[in-house]
Amino acid sequence: MKIKLELYGASREFSKKDYLEFILKEKSSINDLRNEILSFIDKNFKGNNNFKRLVETSKFCSEENNIVSDSYKITRDQKIGIIPPIGGG
Amino acid sequence: MLHAKIIDISKEKIEIDKAKKFIASSKFGASIYFVGTVRDQNDNKKVTGITYDSHDALVVKSFEEIYKEAETKFKFENIAVFIEHIKGYASLGDTSIIIAVACKHRAQAYEFSRYIIEEIKKRTPIWKKEHYENNESEWLKGNSIQTR
Repeated sequence: MKIKLELYGASREFSKKDYLEFILKEKSSINDLRNEILSFIDKNFKGNNNFKRLVETSKFCSEENNIVSDSYKITRDQKIGIIPPIGGG
Repeated sequence: MLHAKIIDISKEKIEIDKAKKFIASSKFGASIYFVGTVRDQNDNKKVTGITYDSHDALVVKSFEEIYKEAETKFKFENIAVFIEHIKGYASLGDTSIIIAVACKHRAQAYEFSRYIIEEIKKRTPIWKKEHYENNESEWLKGNSIQTR
């Protein structure tokens, strides 16, 4: 499955574009996606601890605009938003 | 009655006059305006501006949820709420958020308005990147989003 990971907040530092793309196995979970992002950080940012901490503390948002749990199964190609810790207002 | 919107300030202005028009009614005896602005200092650093980032759809959804919860919690009749938050770059003193609440009595207006801003801080996916005098900038750490 092809996942377009939409970047927000500090996660925008992961790419010059506003998204990243990952290929995941069928029935992967959000936790699997999180691990893929961590591997991406290892490969592209020499395991930058701040970036890894950011990924570990982020939530994820489905294409239907719901915050989803780590066990949420991704069943098709879709956009997923990474939601780092918030601080607006 | 709710108006909820993200304002992309590269395209549109955030204006208190729009809030005044939205909540204007002779049914209401009290109106509260909360206006958040960009201040010049944070954590002993001189701030020159803030870039706000937003997940637009989730932001509007969270505004709607917070409004509905407040309605259920307080059970006030006849209330009008206007919420707009910007995204994009804002200079010192610029407005980042307007919350306008109008209802029958002042105590209700204060309560409702306070509830909305406190919940937005906990639950609304908006991020701040602060810009400093030395041309450096930094995303603020923030808190993990709370869900209901």
